[in-house]
Amino acid sequence: MAGAHAAQYAPEQAVSASRDRGEPSWLADARAEAARAFDVTPMPTPALRPWKYTNVAGLVIDSFAPDARFAPVVEGDAPEGGFAGTIAHALLDAAQAAVVQQHLGAVVKATEGKFVAANAALWTAGAFIHAPRGKAFAGPVSVTLEAGEGAIFPRVLIVAEPGSEVSVIIHAASGDAALLASTVVEVVAQADARVRLAFDIRWGDQTQEFALVRTRADRGSDVKIDTLAIGGHLVKQTFESLLEGEGATSTIRGVALGDRDQHFDFVTYQDHIAPRTVSSVGIKVALAGYSRAAYYGVTRVEETAKGADAVQENRNMLLSRHAKADSDPVLEILTNDVTRCGHGATVGPVDKDALFYLQSRGLDNRAAMKLLVAGFFASVLHDIDDPVLEADLAAEVERKLSVADY
Amino acid sequence: MSDPILELRDLKVSITEKPDIQIVKGVNLTIRPGEIHALMGPNGSGKSTLASTIAGSPTYTVNSGQVIYQGEDITGMTADERARKGIFLSFQYPTTIPGVTMVNLLREALKARRGQEVPAREFIQELRETLGRLKMSEDFARRYVNDGFSGGEKKRAEILQMGMLRPDLAILDETDSGLDVDALRTVAEGVNALRRPEMGILIITHYERILDYINPDFVHVLVGGRVVKSGDFSLAKQIETDGYDPILKELGLLQEVAS
Repeated sequence: MAGAHAAQYAPEQAVSASRDRGEPSWLADARAEAARAFDVTPMPTPALRPWKYTNVAGLVIDSFAPDARFAPVVEGDAPEGGFAGTIAHALLDAAQAAVVQQHLGAVVKATEGKFVAANAALWTAGAFIHAPRGKAFAGPVSVTLEAGEGAIFPRVLIVAEPGSEVSVIIHAASGDAALLASTVVEVVAQADARVRLAFDIRWGDQTQEFALVRTRADRGSDVKIDTLAIGGHLVKQTFESLLEGEGATSTIRGVALGDRDQHFDFVTYQDHIAPRTVSSVGIKVALAGYSRAAYYGVTRVEETAKGADAVQENRNMLLSRHAKADSDPVLEILTNDVTRCGHGATVGPVDKDALFYLQSRGLDNRAAMKLLVAGFFASVLHDIDDPVLEADLAAEVERKLSVADY
Repeated sequence: MSDPILELRDLKVSITEKPDIQIVKGVNLTIRPGEIHALMGPNGSGKSTLASTIAGSPTYTVNSGQVIYQGEDITGMTADERARKGIFLSFQYPTTIPGVTMVNLLREALKARRGQEVPAREFIQELRETLGRLKMSEDFARRYVNDGFSGGEKKRAEILQMGMLRPDLAILDETDSGLDVDALRTVAEGVNALRRPEMGILIITHYERILDYINPDFVHVLVGGRVVKSGDFSLAKQIETDGYDPILKELGLLQEVAS
């Protein structure tokens, strides 16, 4: 079924828009291929395991008008030889353009799925963060995604060369109008690189986001991704880490706070390919009102990944009796030689004893809930690289719980 | 005589989820300012149920009778309302609250108790003072509530909260259980250091030994949900020597084993 704005999603349109922006021909070709993939790829159905709890059968992507003016705001100072800005700007510089061309679309292929194809065909401006060999960014790079209505296709490419260090914080915000965001983030962590990436999700009440964040982690690299999901009507984020190099480490941490009819869906895929790779997933969700959350995580230890260390944990705290969470962590271990492999999932109401304990100290129900949720989230929030963001998020959690429906 | 802080009038209590099981079967008790009452009794006699009920635990339901606090009937009040009015329960098994520091808890609790935000400087000064009186280090306040605390630390953390919140009625539920002699002395000395003359204290205990440090004015023996005997400190001493059997026998509550 084609939506009202299908013409703007067509290959010819993707190519002519690319030409109008003065993009190189390899990119125009890539967009055309992506648009063709979008046209022929069906929407995912709940029969596909990662889509079990988020039914998008009623969603018609091309019924949303693409916002051609959407552009991430990238702020940060790159060390010499590096880059922090839009992909559009990077393409104007021969050296940076070469790095973009090498990696863009190489981590996430346009033909992989409906949302990814739409993104690859229609992303505008983009964000490119490039940490050159052996260099560290002085401070975190901030990427702000702010949009009104229609459809946006945020595209972020992070390339960390051997021995480099970079921290990126993506802030997402929108108004009250209906907005669809299909986001793709590609992370290339080369040997011994250290990458920190945080998502500060504060979309408006009518925003639906579908995001795929995939990391390729080379030997000795260390990638930590935090997602801090507070706003949005529907937020579905998929975090995939391909641990391709020996001793690579992937850490995924998340908190989500739902209220009203908010819907959060987190999918993680940690693929241990090389020996002695390490992955750790920890996602904590608190749900008020009629909100709901789903988690589906696969940690796969390939035959080649001797001595892998993998832990996976998802905890859901139900603040109201109408909230609901589903949690499904999966381990696939194809070798006998693992250092550690574990997973855990909990879904349950607030600990009654803890609630009474706090009430016996004079805290009313709401004050007690606030403190319990703050405590529940503390380990994740304390661990963010940016103390200002940590304090800001703690305040936002407090504000949200002040009016949340228990 | 001054007006009572607490009066229990023919209080009958059951478990909320099992209304047929009555645990407290008609207790009368009056505590006046400055008085220390000890409630003793064998396991399962209803001591902790009584303590939790006075604090307003939703686990228990008052079937009949009244809890009067400072002249007001609080029988239907929530736990937090009671706490804000000055009732403090030191838990037998304090709950762990990961991620919430003692400082966070104390700030929130003090704010609730006083009905307004406590200025940071004032708060820190009071906290330092109270920690000092309990011979506790400041690191303690930065730890998560009861998380990884030893038995003694948990009980000291309870007394720290009591010291900060300055209740008019403190209920110490088995504060001595699980403590060795040194830990017991530290905790008991803490209670004494933080006592105020107008405060009433109800100590719930199996054993007499905590009472050597915090001397009670009155001792009550609870058996089967009823106060079967009341007396002064000597009653506690007698229990220490002879156990509960002589009292039970005297009241005809102990079934003699036929030989």
